[in-house]
Formats: sequence, C-alpha cells, structure tokens
Amino acid sequence: MRSSHGTIASAAVITAVVLPFVGLMLWSFSNRWFYPDLWPQQWGLRAWDYVFGTAGSQILTALIQSLLVASVTAVISVIIGVPAGRVLGLYEFRGKNLISVVLILPVIVPPLCVAMGLHLWFIKMGLAGTFLGVVLVHLTFCLPYSVFVMWGVFSNYNPDYEDQARSLGASSSKIILRIMLPMTFPGIVVAGLFSFLLSWSQYLSTLIIGGGRITTLPIILFALMGSGDRPVAAAVSLVFVVPAFFALLFSARYLGGRSITGVR
Amino acid sequence: MGDLILINLDIRYGREPIVQDFNLEVRDGEMVSLLGPSGAGKTTVLKAVAGLIHPQKGDIIIDGQPVQDLPPEKRNAVMVFQKPLLFPFMDVEQNIGFGLRMKGWYGLKIRKQIEEIMELTQLTGLGKRKVHELSGGQQQRVSLARALVLKPSVLLLDEPLSNLDANLRQRMRELIQDIQAETHITTLFVTHDQTEALMISHRVSLLLNGRLRQVGTPQDLFYRPSDPEVARFFGGCNFIQGKVKDGVFQSDFGHVPAPEINGNGHLLTATIRPEDILISSDSTFEVEAEIEKTNFEGSTTRIWVKCQNTRFVILTSESKFFCGQSVRIHLPSEKIRIFPSE
Repeated sequence: MRSSHGTIASAAVITAVVLPFVGLMLWSFSNRWFYPDLWPQQWGLRAWDYVFGTAGSQILTALIQSLLVASVTAVISVIIGVPAGRVLGLYEFRGKNLISVVLILPVIVPPLCVAMGLHLWFIKMGLAGTFLGVVLVHLTFCLPYSVFVMWGVFSNYNPDYEDQARSLGASSSKIILRIMLPMTFPGIVVAGLFSFLLSWSQYLSTLIIGGGRITTLPIILFALMGSGDRPVAAAVSLVFVVPAFFALLFSARYLGGRSITGVR
Repeated sequence: MGDLILINLDIRYGREPIVQDFNLEVRDGEMVSLLGPSGAGKTTVLKAVAGLIHPQKGDIIIDGQPVQDLPPEKRNAVMVFQKPLLFPFMDVEQNIGFGLRMKGWYGLKIRKQIEEIMELTQLTGLGKRKVHELSGGQQQRVSLARALVLKPSVLLLDEPLSNLDANLRQRMRELIQDIQAETHITTLFVTHDQTEALMISHRVSLLLNGRLRQVGTPQDLFYRPSDPEVARFFGGCNFIQGKVKDGVFQSDFGHVPAPEINGNGHLLTATIRPEDILISSDSTFEVEAEIEKTNFEGSTTRIWVKCQNTRFVILTSESKFFCGQSVRIHLPSEKIRIFPSE
C-alpha cells in the first residue's frame, strides 16, 4: 500500500515540477522544432549563445535589476511584517477583522487594477518609472503574505520567553535580537522568501509602474515571448528560474517539518 | 544577600483590582512562600517585584533600595516562571549563561560559574544537551540554574514544581530546599499547594482574593489561623458556635478558657482540626454522635459524624468504624481555636 502511494506521489511531483522543465530544456537546446514532431528537428546552442552572447549584457542587467528589486522588497516586507504580525498575533483589539480584510484586498483585486490605479498617483508623486515606485507596488502584493505569515507565527509565540529574558537581565534591544528574532527565524525566512518570489515574478505591475525604465527579467522574458522566438524564451525562462530555485533550496529546511516557533 | 519589602501594593489590570493593600517583608536569607488558590493574584505580585508589571500604588524595596522606577533588567530580582521557558535555540550551558552574557561577561569568566551552578543543580555533564533532549525535571532545574547563576538578591519562584509528577516534585522540592539552605538566597516562592508551602518555607503568607490574610510560620497558619477562611484553606472543616462569658468560650461541645477575648455574650466561631477530635465506640467520652459516612484513605480514615445539629469531620487512624454507628466524641479544649469576632 505504502509503495503504491509513494508511486502516485512521485508521479504527481514529476508531472507538476519536473515535466515543465523538460520541455523548457528541450526548447532551449533546439534550433528548429515544429508541430507535429515530438522531438526537435535540429539541436543547437543558438538560444544559449544568444542569452550569454548577443543579449548577455542586457539579460545580466535585467537579472541584477530583478535581484535588487526582489531583495529590497523582501527585506522591507519582513521589516514591516514582523512588527505588524506581532501586534496582530499577540494582542486583542478592535478592528482586527477589518485589518485582515484590508490586508487581503490587494490579493483579491486583480493586480492590473491595483497597478493602474496606483499609476496615476505614482505619476503625481514622481514615483512612476523609479526603482522605489516599483518596490512600493511590489510591496502591495508581498506585504499581505508576510504579515499573514508573521501573524500566524506570533499567534503561536509565547511572550513569557521575553519576560523571562528580561528578568534575567536582557534589555529591550537584546530581547529582540537574542530572543524574538531567533524564536521566529523560520517564520521570517518563509515570509522573506514568499515576498522575494512574489516580487521576482511580477510582470504587469513592473511594466505599468516601471514604464519600461525598470527592466526586470520578466519584462525581457515577455518581450522575447512576444517576438515568437521560442528557444530563446525557453533559455531566458531557465535563467529566470535558477535564482528562485536556489533560494528555495537554501531555505527548504525552514519550509518543511521544522516547527515555525521552534518549540516542541 | 538581600531582603525584600513590599509596602501597600495595589495592582490593577485596567479597572479590576488584582491585589490590594499588600504588605510583606522577606528577610535576608529567608524563604517565604506566597500561598493562595489560583486566581488569587500570587503571580501578579511576583511579576510586580520582578518589574514585569507596574503596581498602581505602593513601594517595592530590594536591599533597602526602592526599585519601582527601575526596569526589570536593572532589578536585583530574578523570576523563574512556572514553565521552564528554556530558549530552544540554545543548549543547556548557553541557557544557563544567558543572564551572565547579558551582563556582558564572556568566556572563562562565566564558564566556571556555570559549572558550579550545574553541580549545585545536579546537571553536571548535560551542558551540551539540546533543550528538547531534557526531561521535564531537568528542564526545570536548568530554568532554576539560569536564575541562580546570577546570584540575585531576591529569587522569585512561580510554582516551579507544578508541572512535575508527584515523585519528581518531592525530589525537586528537596533540591530547592537544599540549595536555599546552602546559598541563603532570599526567596519568594509562589504556590497553590498548602503542603508544599508548609514543607518548604520558613514563613508562609496566605493570599485570598487579592488580599494578604495571614503571615506566619507554617505552624502558625496551620494551628492558629486568624479567621475561618484561613482555617478552611488549610483543610479546616469543623466550625462551632459559642458565646464568651467571663473569659470562657462556652459551646455545646465544651468550654474553653479564652482570657484574651473581651466582651461578654458575643456569638463567636471556633474551629478544631479533623485530626484533633477524638472518637471512640465505647463510653469514654461524653458527647454522643452518629456516623453518617466513612471514607478510608489509607493511613487515615475520614469520618463524618452528626452530633446534635452540627456535623464534624474526623480523621482517625482507626478503620473499625462503620456507617450508622453510635459513637462518642471529644473535642479537647486545648485544640479548639477561637476566632476573635469577625
């Protein structure tokens, strides 16, 4: 029984996770591949040559731009998410339900509406087309997730640990650094990773607010897709996936069985 | 090492008063227990001393120095919580050394102190263990060691034994007693368990409904309760009414000389402990009674008797009595405790 369950599980994992990559790999190493063939008619490194050669500097710049935007967004998202989650998780006050509704709004409302709506204001405030503007619009999508994750973390958090540390002689700043952050670290990693990946994959909001001046990897990717050059789009897609994949591997141990609060 | 004086403490959560008019002195090297049912405000008092709660009114004096305006980390009082609350990302040694590191001490300087305290709390050899690898008793000992290593003026223990099973509790109790006797650390010990309080402390203070009812030696509280409620808390269940006449307390069950009580004709209440009432099946004693219920409890038997219109509970080491039996009882006058008028 167990082994048959295992087979189904691994089949599901392979179909959902590995299969799309196989397609991408095949596309990126093909020079010609037309319907109805199941296999590329002609293999070649033209796409990779393009990615690392012809368009190399352009893609590298976009990669760095994407990394910067996503990192800054993730850091700000965590910096706001931790105290917000702490208040929501530890204290009872009026309007808590309202806050959760407001928080989830940017997730429910289509990103297009949010980005279009904000665009007008951002132009007025001089934020359109700037790095800060793009980070801010990404935050509207990332913050709900990091606040909700930290809310959950702090719901299981026992503030007595802080009182105990304080009684043992720890000052407020030391309590935050030595007790609260280590206790909630797995949750912080999850919140940061969520935010990073969400920002990493933003296309529409970056396009609208960035106005072409902030060219992240998805912007280039969509441009290539539109041009119809499938092998090159596949190769750029793979480049696009790599950092996210490493980020996931790096923090996988925090996403798995380890308890979020770190206490039995 | 240090003493602790609490004067007129008044603590509220919002508008609700938790503790009122609280006065207590814990002398240097003394172990005083703060006893009371759950919800009486014991932990609140402890937290106020530790500085985790701010009293509305009153003074807290540690080592002769008022500390109301000092933050918890600057007070020379360390609180040990009911749960061990060991920091899960540190090993045993790091947990014990936490307070010392907060003082900015590192390395060899604290290494020796940690080792000493681990020997004192019987934790030698467990220093590199992860917290979740420890048993409940060990965790509690680490929690205690973590406070003791700081050598505070006042140690505040909040029911540190309540999470342990009976055997372990006994051993831990003895350990705390031994450590206290050895280090002479001034200790305020909160508990809801009267036996624990009587066994472990030099003096007991009883807190009922946010007010301190009686402070004294364990014998004082047990044998000389100041009012019926205190008596009831220590398992007193026999109350008799009587009147004072010419310095003698007169009741249906005997006369007790009460020279210290003034006033004639006042209706007063007196109590006698269940184990002090003598019971016999022959006619040795003068008061007749009938057994309503018996309950065998091992080394003692608890007997409910009806005698005129009063019910008494009697604890006796004999197990020969049965329900419905006619017996005679005697209330030794020297064991009757008369309460001054309420």
